Amino acid sequence: MGIQFHFDRQRRVLSPTLARIRRGGPEPWALRGVDLVAEPGDGIALVGPTGSGKTTLLRLLGGILAPDEGSLTVRGELGTLLSPQAGLVGLLTGRENAELLGVLVGMSPPEARAAVAPIREMSGLGDSFELPVSSYSEGMRARLGFAVAAQRAVDLLLLDEVHEAMDHEFRGAMAERARAVRGRGGIVVAAGHDHPVLATLCDRAVWMESGAVRRDRDFHEVVDT
Amino acid sequence: MLEALARSDIRMRYGRGRLTMVKWLLDPYAAAGVYLLLVAFVLDRPGHAAGLSLACAIVPFQLVLMTVLNSLTSVQSRRSIVVNMRFERALIPLSSAVAEAVGFVATLTLLVVMMVAYGVEPTAAVLWLPVLVLVTFAVAVAVAYPVALVGLWFPESRPIMLSLTRAAFFVAPGVVALDQIAGHTADWLKANPLTGLFEAYRSVFLEGVSPAAWELLLPCAFAVVTLALFVPLFRHEGPQFAKLVE
Repeated sequence: MGIQFHFDRQRRVLSPTLARIRRGGPEPWALRGVDLVAEPGDGIALVGPTGSGKTTLLRLLGGILAPDEGSLTVRGELGTLLSPQAGLVGLLTGRENAELLGVLVGMSPPEARAAVAPIREMSGLGDSFELPVSSYSEGMRARLGFAVAAQRAVDLLLLDEVHEAMDHEFRGAMAERARAVRGRGGIVVAAGHDHPVLATLCDRAVWMESGAVRRDRDFHEVVDT
Repeated sequence: MLEALARSDIRMRYGRGRLTMVKWLLDPYAAAGVYLLLVAFVLDRPGHAAGLSLACAIVPFQLVLMTVLNSLTSVQSRRSIVVNMRFERALIPLSSAVAEAVGFVATLTLLVVMMVAYGVEPTAAVLWLPVLVLVTFAVAVAVAYPVALVGLWFPESRPIMLSLTRAAFFVAPGVVALDQIAGHTADWLKANPLTGLFEAYRSVFLEGVSPAAWELLLPCAFAVVTLALFVPLFRHEGPQFAKLVE
Protein backbone atom coordinates (compact mmCIF):
# COMPACT_ATOMS: atom_id res chain seq x y z
CA MET A 1 0.00 0.00 0.00
CA GLY A 2 1.07 3.59 -0.48
CA ILE A 3 0.30 7.20 0.34
CA GLN A 4 1.02 9.99 -2.12
CA PHE A 5 1.16 13.71 -1.55
CA HIS A 6 0.31 16.22 -4.29
CA PHE A 7 1.56 19.80 -4.42
CA ASP A 8 0.74 22.73 -6.65
CA ARG A 9 3.28 25.15 -8.11
CA GLN A 10 3.31 27.14 -4.84
CA ARG A 11 4.13 23.88 -3.01
CA ARG A 12 0.78 23.79 -1.22
CA VAL A 13 -0.60 20.33 -0.45
CA LEU A 14 -3.53 19.34 -2.67
CA SER A 15 -6.05 16.57 -2.24
CA PRO A 16 -6.00 13.99 -5.09
CA THR A 17 -9.32 15.37 -6.37
CA LEU A 18 -7.91 18.87 -6.64
CA ALA A 19 -4.64 17.59 -8.05
CA ARG A 20 -6.52 16.39 -11.15
CA ILE A 21 -7.36 20.03 -11.87
CA ARG A 22 -4.28 21.86 -10.55
CA ARG A 23 -1.27 19.77 -11.41
CA GLY A 24 2.10 21.43 -11.50
CA GLY A 25 4.05 20.56 -8.38
CA PRO A 26 5.85 17.44 -7.18
CA GLU A 27 3.87 14.32 -6.29
CA PRO A 28 6.08 12.36 -3.89
CA TRP A 29 5.10 9.09 -2.26
CA ALA A 30 5.21 9.35 1.54
CA LEU A 31 4.77 5.60 1.69
CA ARG A 32 5.09 3.04 -1.08
CA GLY A 33 5.21 -0.71 -1.40
CA VAL A 34 4.57 -1.29 2.28
CA ASP A 35 3.43 -4.85 2.92
CA LEU A 36 2.82 -5.75 6.56
CA VAL A 37 0.87 -8.43 8.36
CA ALA A 38 0.28 -8.17 12.12
CA GLU A 39 -0.88 -11.18 14.08
CA PRO A 40 -2.84 -11.18 17.34
CA GLY A 41 -0.53 -10.41 20.27
CA ASP A 42 2.03 -8.56 18.16
CA GLY A 43 3.82 -5.50 19.49
CA ILE A 44 5.37 -3.69 16.55
CA ALA A 45 7.74 -0.75 16.85
CA LEU A 46 8.06 1.54 13.84
CA VAL A 47 11.56 2.95 13.87
CA GLY A 48 13.64 4.96 11.46
CA PRO A 49 14.76 8.51 10.76
CA THR A 50 12.41 11.49 10.82
CA GLY A 51 10.40 11.64 7.59
CA SER A 52 10.67 7.92 6.93
CA GLY A 53 6.88 7.40 6.92
CA LYS A 54 6.23 6.13 10.45
CA THR A 55 3.47 8.64 11.26
CA THR A 56 1.91 8.24 7.82
CA LEU A 57 1.78 4.47 8.27
CA LEU A 58 0.16 4.86 11.70
CA ARG A 59 -2.45 7.23 10.25
CA LEU A 60 -3.13 4.70 7.53
CA LEU A 61 -3.60 1.94 10.11
CA GLY A 62 -5.81 4.23 12.17
CA GLY A 63 -8.14 4.93 9.22
CA ILE A 64 -7.21 8.60 9.34
CA LEU A 65 -5.75 8.43 5.84
CA ALA A 66 -6.93 6.13 3.06
CA PRO A 67 -4.33 4.33 0.93
CA ASP A 68 -3.73 5.92 -2.48
CA GLU A 69 -2.66 2.52 -3.77
CA GLY A 70 -3.10 -0.97 -2.42
CA SER A 71 -5.45 -1.99 0.33
CA LEU A 72 -5.59 -2.33 4.08
CA THR A 73 -7.71 -4.49 6.35
CA VAL A 74 -7.99 -3.69 10.05
CA ARG A 75 -10.19 -5.82 12.28
CA GLY A 76 -11.38 -4.85 15.75
CA GLU A 77 -11.65 -1.74 17.88
CA LEU A 78 -9.06 0.99 17.45
CA GLY A 79 -7.32 3.14 20.05
CA THR A 80 -5.17 5.97 18.69
CA LEU A 81 -2.74 8.44 20.22
CA LEU A 82 -1.12 9.82 17.13
CA SER A 83 0.11 13.27 18.04
CA PRO A 84 1.59 15.04 21.04
CA GLN A 85 -1.70 16.99 21.02
CA ALA A 86 -3.38 13.61 21.60
CA GLY A 87 -6.53 14.83 19.86
CA LEU A 88 -7.13 17.54 22.45
CA VAL A 89 -8.74 20.89 21.67
CA GLY A 90 -6.76 23.70 23.31
CA LEU A 91 -9.66 25.99 24.17
CA LEU A 92 -11.57 23.25 25.99
CA THR A 93 -10.83 22.15 29.55
CA GLY A 94 -9.55 18.69 30.39
CA ARG A 95 -13.07 17.68 31.45
CA GLU A 96 -14.65 18.99 28.23
CA ASN A 97 -11.99 17.29 26.13
CA ALA A 98 -12.55 14.04 28.01
CA GLU A 99 -16.27 14.18 27.18
CA LEU A 100 -15.67 15.09 23.53
CA LEU A 101 -12.97 12.48 22.94
CA GLY A 102 -14.99 9.87 24.79
CA VAL A 103 -17.81 10.29 22.28
CA LEU A 104 -15.42 10.42 19.33
CA VAL A 105 -13.81 7.13 20.33
CA GLY A 106 -17.20 5.47 20.35
CA MET A 107 -18.79 5.95 23.77
CA SER A 108 -22.39 7.10 24.10
CA PRO A 109 -22.75 10.58 25.68
CA PRO A 110 -23.86 9.11 29.07
CA GLU A 111 -20.91 6.67 28.95
CA ALA A 112 -18.55 9.53 28.12
CA ARG A 113 -19.86 11.58 31.04
CA ALA A 114 -19.59 8.60 33.38
CA ALA A 115 -16.00 8.07 32.22
CA VAL A 116 -14.94 11.60 33.17
CA ALA A 117 -14.27 10.78 36.85
CA PRO A 118 -12.03 7.76 36.11
CA ILE A 119 -10.24 9.78 33.40
CA ARG A 120 -9.57 12.58 35.88
CA GLU A 121 -8.31 10.07 38.41
CA MET A 122 -6.13 8.18 35.97
CA SER A 123 -4.65 11.28 34.33
CA GLY A 124 -3.54 12.58 37.74
CA LEU A 125 -4.09 16.15 36.55
CA GLY A 126 -5.81 17.30 39.74
CA ASP A 127 -7.27 20.80 39.53
CA SER A 128 -5.69 21.32 36.10
CA PHE A 129 -8.39 19.01 34.77
CA GLU A 130 -10.78 21.99 34.93
CA LEU A 131 -8.41 24.33 33.06
CA PRO A 132 -8.11 24.81 29.29
CA VAL A 133 -5.79 22.28 27.71
CA SER A 134 -3.85 25.13 26.07
CA SER A 135 -2.31 25.69 29.52
CA TYR A 136 -1.06 22.07 29.70
CA SER A 137 2.46 20.86 29.08
CA GLU A 138 2.99 18.22 26.42
CA GLY A 139 3.30 15.56 29.12
CA MET A 140 -0.02 16.60 30.70
CA ARG A 141 -1.73 16.39 27.32
CA ALA A 142 -0.27 12.96 26.73
CA ARG A 143 -1.53 11.85 30.16
CA LEU A 144 -5.05 13.06 29.42
CA GLY A 145 -5.09 11.55 25.92
CA PHE A 146 -3.87 8.24 27.28
CA ALA A 147 -6.40 8.26 30.13
CA VAL A 148 -9.24 8.74 27.60
CA ALA A 149 -7.90 6.00 25.31
CA ALA A 150 -7.51 3.64 28.27
CA GLN A 151 -11.24 3.72 29.05
CA ARG A 152 -12.05 1.34 26.20
CA ALA A 153 -10.84 -2.16 25.50
CA VAL A 154 -9.18 -1.93 22.09
CA ASP A 155 -7.84 -4.56 19.72
CA LEU A 156 -5.35 -2.28 17.98
CA LEU A 157 -3.50 0.41 19.94
CA LEU A 158 -1.56 2.94 17.84
CA LEU A 159 0.97 5.25 19.53
CA ASP A 160 3.03 7.93 17.82
CA GLU A 161 5.75 9.36 20.05
CA VAL A 162 3.10 10.25 22.62
CA HIS A 163 4.70 7.85 25.09
CA GLU A 164 7.95 9.80 24.72
CA ALA A 165 6.29 12.92 26.13
CA MET A 166 5.25 11.06 29.28
CA ASP A 167 7.04 10.95 32.61
CA HIS A 168 8.50 7.75 34.03
CA GLU A 169 5.40 6.83 36.06
CA PHE A 170 3.07 7.14 33.11
CA ARG A 171 5.38 5.25 30.80
CA GLY A 172 4.98 2.35 33.18
CA ALA A 173 1.20 2.63 32.97
CA MET A 174 1.43 2.79 29.18
CA ALA A 175 3.63 -0.33 29.05
CA GLU A 176 1.18 -2.14 31.32
CA ARG A 177 -1.68 -1.12 29.08
CA ALA A 178 0.18 -2.30 25.97
CA ARG A 179 0.84 -5.66 27.63
CA ALA A 180 -2.86 -5.97 28.51
CA VAL A 181 -3.90 -5.25 24.92
CA ARG A 182 -1.46 -7.81 23.55
CA GLY A 183 -2.37 -10.31 26.26
CA ARG A 184 -5.97 -10.21 25.07
CA GLY A 185 -4.85 -10.99 21.53
CA GLY A 186 -4.74 -7.35 20.45
CA ILE A 187 -1.96 -5.56 18.59
CA VAL A 188 0.17 -2.58 19.60
CA VAL A 189 1.96 -0.48 16.99
CA ALA A 190 4.17 2.30 18.35
CA ALA A 191 6.41 4.73 16.50
CA GLY A 192 9.24 6.74 18.04
CA HIS A 193 12.91 7.36 18.50
CA ASP A 194 13.27 6.32 22.14
CA HIS A 195 14.24 2.68 21.61
CA PRO A 196 14.41 1.66 25.32
CA VAL A 197 10.83 2.86 25.78
CA LEU A 198 9.71 1.11 22.59
CA ALA A 199 11.34 -2.09 23.87
CA THR A 200 8.91 -2.08 26.82
CA LEU A 201 5.95 -2.01 24.40
CA CYS A 202 7.05 -4.14 21.46
CA ASP A 203 9.01 -7.27 20.57
CA ARG A 204 9.06 -6.76 16.82
CA ALA A 205 10.48 -3.77 14.93
CA VAL A 206 9.98 -2.42 11.46
CA TRP A 207 12.78 -0.19 10.23
CA MET A 208 11.51 2.40 7.77
CA GLU A 209 13.37 4.65 5.37
CA SER A 210 12.09 6.92 2.60
CA GLY A 211 8.55 5.59 2.92
CA ALA A 212 9.50 1.93 2.59
CA VAL A 213 10.09 -0.98 4.97
CA ARG A 214 13.80 -1.87 5.09
CA ARG A 215 13.77 -4.49 7.87
CA ASP A 216 11.00 -6.31 9.72
CA ARG A 217 12.26 -8.67 12.43
CA ASP A 218 12.77 -9.18 16.15
CA PHE A 219 13.02 -5.82 17.95
CA HIS A 220 16.63 -6.10 19.09
CA GLU A 221 17.76 -7.62 15.80
CA VAL A 222 16.49 -4.54 13.98
CA VAL A 223 17.31 -1.82 16.49
CA ASP A 224 20.75 -3.04 17.62
CA THR A 225 22.14 -3.42 14.09
CA MET B 1 -21.19 12.64 18.11
CA LEU B 2 -22.82 15.61 16.40
CA GLU B 3 -23.97 16.90 19.78
CA ALA B 4 -20.48 16.52 21.24
CA LEU B 5 -18.86 18.37 18.32
CA ALA B 6 -21.44 21.16 18.37
CA ARG B 7 -21.22 21.47 22.16
CA SER B 8 -17.45 21.86 21.96
CA ASP B 9 -17.89 24.49 19.25
CA ILE B 10 -20.38 26.40 21.39
CA ARG B 11 -18.08 26.28 24.41
CA MET B 12 -15.24 27.67 22.33
CA ARG B 13 -17.49 30.39 20.93
CA TYR B 14 -19.38 31.48 24.04
CA GLY B 15 -17.10 30.34 26.83
CA ARG B 16 -18.39 29.15 30.19
CA GLY B 17 -19.83 30.54 33.40
CA ARG B 18 -22.48 33.08 34.31
CA LEU B 19 -21.81 35.46 31.43
CA THR B 20 -22.42 32.77 28.81
CA MET B 21 -26.10 33.67 28.45
CA VAL B 22 -25.33 37.39 28.20
CA LYS B 23 -22.74 36.76 25.49
CA TRP B 24 -25.15 34.47 23.70
CA LEU B 25 -27.79 37.21 23.61
CA LEU B 26 -25.41 40.05 22.80
CA ASP B 27 -23.39 38.32 20.08
CA PRO B 28 -26.09 38.41 17.40
CA TYR B 29 -27.07 41.96 18.35
CA ALA B 30 -23.48 43.05 17.98
CA ALA B 31 -23.26 41.36 14.61
CA ALA B 32 -26.69 42.11 13.13
CA GLY B 33 -28.26 44.69 15.38
CA VAL B 34 -25.76 47.45 14.74
CA TYR B 35 -26.10 46.95 11.00
CA LEU B 36 -29.86 46.95 11.38
CA LEU B 37 -29.87 50.21 13.35
CA LEU B 38 -27.63 51.89 10.79
CA VAL B 39 -29.67 50.94 7.75
CA ALA B 40 -33.12 51.23 9.35
CA PHE B 41 -32.76 54.45 11.29
CA VAL B 42 -29.69 56.36 10.06
CA LEU B 43 -30.34 55.86 6.35
CA ASP B 44 -33.70 57.04 5.10
CA ARG B 45 -35.52 54.06 3.60
CA PRO B 46 -39.00 54.02 2.09
CA GLY B 47 -41.73 51.47 2.82
CA HIS B 48 -43.79 50.17 5.71
CA ALA B 49 -41.89 49.22 8.91
CA ALA B 50 -38.52 49.47 7.15
CA GLY B 51 -36.59 48.23 10.18
CA LEU B 52 -38.76 45.13 10.54
CA SER B 53 -38.52 44.44 6.80
CA LEU B 54 -34.74 44.63 7.07
CA ALA B 55 -34.71 42.43 10.18
CA CYS B 56 -36.64 39.80 8.19
CA ALA B 57 -33.65 39.62 5.86
CA ILE B 58 -30.87 40.05 8.41
CA VAL B 59 -32.07 37.37 10.82
CA PRO B 60 -31.92 34.42 8.38
CA PHE B 61 -28.86 35.87 6.67
CA GLN B 62 -27.05 36.01 9.99
CA LEU B 63 -27.25 32.22 10.35
CA VAL B 64 -25.99 31.70 6.80
CA LEU B 65 -23.16 34.22 7.21
CA MET B 66 -22.02 32.89 10.58
CA THR B 67 -22.16 29.32 9.30
CA VAL B 68 -19.99 30.32 6.33
CA LEU B 69 -17.56 32.05 8.68
CA ASN B 70 -17.36 29.02 10.97
CA SER B 71 -17.24 26.46 8.14
CA LEU B 72 -14.34 28.14 6.36
CA THR B 73 -12.03 27.01 9.17
CA SER B 74 -14.10 24.14 10.54
CA VAL B 75 -11.70 21.38 9.49
CA GLN B 76 -8.54 23.24 10.50
CA SER B 77 -9.98 24.23 13.86
CA ARG B 78 -10.49 20.52 14.58
CA ARG B 79 -7.02 19.65 13.36
CA SER B 80 -6.01 17.91 16.58
CA ILE B 81 -8.82 15.37 16.31
CA VAL B 82 -8.65 15.12 12.50
CA VAL B 83 -5.03 13.92 12.64
CA ASN B 84 -5.52 11.75 15.70
CA MET B 85 -8.67 9.72 15.23
CA ARG B 86 -11.10 8.24 12.79
CA PHE B 87 -14.61 9.63 12.97
CA GLU B 88 -17.30 10.69 10.51
CA ARG B 89 -15.79 13.81 8.94
CA ALA B 90 -19.12 14.67 7.29
CA LEU B 91 -20.35 15.77 10.72
CA ILE B 92 -17.90 18.68 10.82
CA PRO B 93 -19.85 21.19 8.65
CA LEU B 94 -23.12 20.04 10.18
CA SER B 95 -21.79 20.69 13.69
CA SER B 96 -20.66 24.17 12.58
CA ALA B 97 -24.20 24.94 11.45
CA VAL B 98 -25.68 23.51 14.65
CA ALA B 99 -23.35 25.66 16.78
CA GLU B 100 -24.32 28.77 14.83
CA ALA B 101 -28.00 27.86 15.10
CA VAL B 102 -27.72 28.39 18.85
CA GLY B 103 -26.80 32.02 18.22
CA PHE B 104 -29.51 32.20 15.58
CA VAL B 105 -32.17 31.49 18.21
CA ALA B 106 -30.99 34.60 20.05
CA THR B 107 -31.08 36.58 16.78
CA LEU B 108 -34.79 35.80 16.45
CA THR B 109 -35.43 38.19 19.33
CA LEU B 110 -34.50 40.99 16.91
CA LEU B 111 -37.76 40.31 15.10
CA VAL B 112 -39.71 40.68 18.34
CA VAL B 113 -37.93 43.95 19.14
CA MET B 114 -38.70 45.33 15.67
CA MET B 115 -42.34 44.23 15.77
CA VAL B 116 -42.75 46.04 19.08
CA ALA B 117 -40.88 49.11 17.77
CA TYR B 118 -43.14 49.39 14.69
CA GLY B 119 -46.34 48.32 16.47
CA VAL B 120 -46.82 45.29 14.22
CA GLU B 121 -49.05 42.75 15.93
CA PRO B 122 -48.32 39.06 15.41
CA THR B 123 -50.91 36.94 13.60
CA ALA B 124 -51.49 33.20 13.41
CA ALA B 125 -48.91 33.18 10.61
CA VAL B 126 -46.17 33.14 13.29
CA LEU B 127 -46.98 29.45 13.61
CA TRP B 128 -44.87 29.14 10.45
CA LEU B 129 -41.80 30.06 12.51
CA PRO B 130 -40.59 26.47 13.06
CA VAL B 131 -40.81 25.87 9.31
CA LEU B 132 -38.90 29.08 8.60
CA VAL B 133 -36.22 28.09 11.10
CA LEU B 134 -35.92 24.62 9.56
CA VAL B 135 -35.60 25.99 6.01
CA THR B 136 -33.04 28.57 7.14
CA PHE B 137 -31.08 25.85 8.89
CA ALA B 138 -31.25 23.62 5.81
CA VAL B 139 -29.80 26.41 3.65
CA ALA B 140 -27.06 27.06 6.23
CA VAL B 141 -26.14 23.35 6.41
CA ALA B 142 -26.14 23.14 2.62
CA VAL B 143 -23.67 26.02 2.21
CA ALA B 144 -21.50 24.68 5.06
CA TYR B 145 -20.27 21.68 3.02
CA PRO B 146 -18.91 23.45 -0.08
CA VAL B 147 -17.61 26.30 2.04
CA ALA B 148 -15.72 23.94 4.38
CA LEU B 149 -14.08 22.30 1.37
CA VAL B 150 -13.16 25.64 -0.21
CA GLY B 151 -11.74 26.86 3.10
CA LEU B 152 -9.61 23.73 3.29
CA TRP B 153 -8.55 23.56 -0.35
CA PHE B 154 -7.93 27.29 -0.83
CA PRO B 155 -7.24 28.85 2.60
CA GLU B 156 -6.20 32.10 0.92
CA SER B 157 -9.72 32.48 -0.50
CA ARG B 158 -11.43 32.82 2.89
CA PRO B 159 -11.81 36.63 2.75
CA ILE B 160 -13.20 36.34 -0.79
CA MET B 161 -15.72 33.73 0.34
CA LEU B 162 -16.93 36.06 3.07
CA SER B 163 -17.24 38.91 0.59
CA LEU B 164 -19.18 36.68 -1.81
CA THR B 165 -21.55 35.68 0.98
CA ARG B 166 -22.16 39.31 1.85
CA ALA B 167 -22.67 40.05 -1.85
CA ALA B 168 -25.36 37.33 -1.90
CA PHE B 169 -27.28 39.45 0.61
CA PHE B 170 -27.28 42.39 -1.79
CA VAL B 171 -28.27 40.35 -4.85
CA ALA B 172 -31.32 39.30 -2.88
CA PRO B 173 -34.03 41.63 -1.58
CA GLY B 174 -32.14 42.21 1.66
CA VAL B 175 -32.23 45.98 2.05
CA VAL B 176 -35.33 46.48 -0.12
CA ALA B 177 -38.32 44.10 -0.23
CA LEU B 178 -39.00 42.20 -3.46
CA ASP B 179 -42.25 44.07 -4.16
CA GLN B 180 -40.29 47.33 -4.30
CA ILE B 181 -38.03 46.03 -7.07
CA ALA B 182 -39.33 46.65 -10.57
CA GLY B 183 -39.16 44.68 -13.81
CA HIS B 184 -37.29 41.51 -14.61
CA THR B 185 -34.78 42.17 -11.83
CA ALA B 186 -37.31 40.87 -9.31
CA ASP B 187 -37.63 37.63 -11.31
CA TRP B 188 -33.88 37.20 -11.51
CA LEU B 189 -33.46 37.76 -7.80
CA LYS B 190 -35.68 34.74 -7.15
CA ALA B 191 -32.82 32.56 -8.39
CA ASN B 192 -30.98 33.49 -5.20
CA PRO B 193 -32.14 31.06 -2.47
CA LEU B 194 -31.87 33.89 0.06
CA THR B 195 -34.67 35.74 -1.76
CA GLY B 196 -37.25 33.10 -0.85
CA LEU B 197 -36.01 33.02 2.73
CA PHE B 198 -36.14 36.80 3.19
CA GLU B 199 -39.58 37.07 1.63
CA ALA B 200 -40.92 34.17 3.71
CA TYR B 201 -39.89 35.97 6.91
CA ARG B 202 -41.51 39.20 5.60
CA SER B 203 -44.72 37.34 4.77
CA VAL B 204 -44.97 35.93 8.28
CA PHE B 205 -43.71 38.79 10.47
CA LEU B 206 -44.35 41.93 8.39
CA GLU B 207 -47.49 41.06 6.46
CA GLY B 208 -48.89 38.50 8.87
CA VAL B 209 -49.71 35.96 6.17
CA SER B 210 -48.53 32.48 5.28
CA PRO B 211 -45.44 32.41 3.05
CA ALA B 212 -45.97 31.68 -0.64
CA ALA B 213 -44.98 28.17 -1.70
CA TRP B 214 -42.05 29.35 -3.84
CA GLU B 215 -40.60 31.27 -0.90
CA LEU B 216 -40.02 28.00 0.93
CA LEU B 217 -39.60 25.58 -1.94
CA LEU B 218 -36.81 27.42 -3.75
CA PRO B 219 -34.48 27.55 -0.72
CA CYS B 220 -35.38 23.90 0.04
CA ALA B 221 -34.55 22.86 -3.52
CA PHE B 222 -31.25 24.71 -3.29
CA ALA B 223 -30.44 22.94 -0.02
CA VAL B 224 -31.34 19.49 -1.36
CA VAL B 225 -29.33 19.89 -4.58
CA THR B 226 -26.31 21.36 -2.78
CA LEU B 227 -26.34 18.63 -0.13
CA ALA B 228 -26.74 15.93 -2.79
CA LEU B 229 -23.66 17.27 -4.58
CA PHE B 230 -21.36 18.18 -1.73
CA VAL B 231 -21.99 15.71 1.10
CA PRO B 232 -20.72 12.78 -1.04
CA LEU B 233 -17.76 14.90 -2.19
CA PHE B 234 -16.98 15.89 1.41
CA ARG B 235 -17.13 12.25 2.52
CA HIS B 236 -14.90 11.26 -0.39
CA GLU B 237 -12.36 13.89 0.63
CA GLY B 238 -12.51 13.07 4.35
CA PRO B 239 -9.66 10.53 4.28
CA GLN B 240 -7.40 13.22 2.75
CA PHE B 241 -8.00 15.87 5.41
CA ALA B 242 -5.07 14.80 7.60
CA LYS B 243 -2.73 15.59 4.66
CA LEU B 244 -4.19 19.06 4.20
CA VAL B 245 -4.45 20.36 7.75
CA GLU B 246 -0.81 19.76 8.67
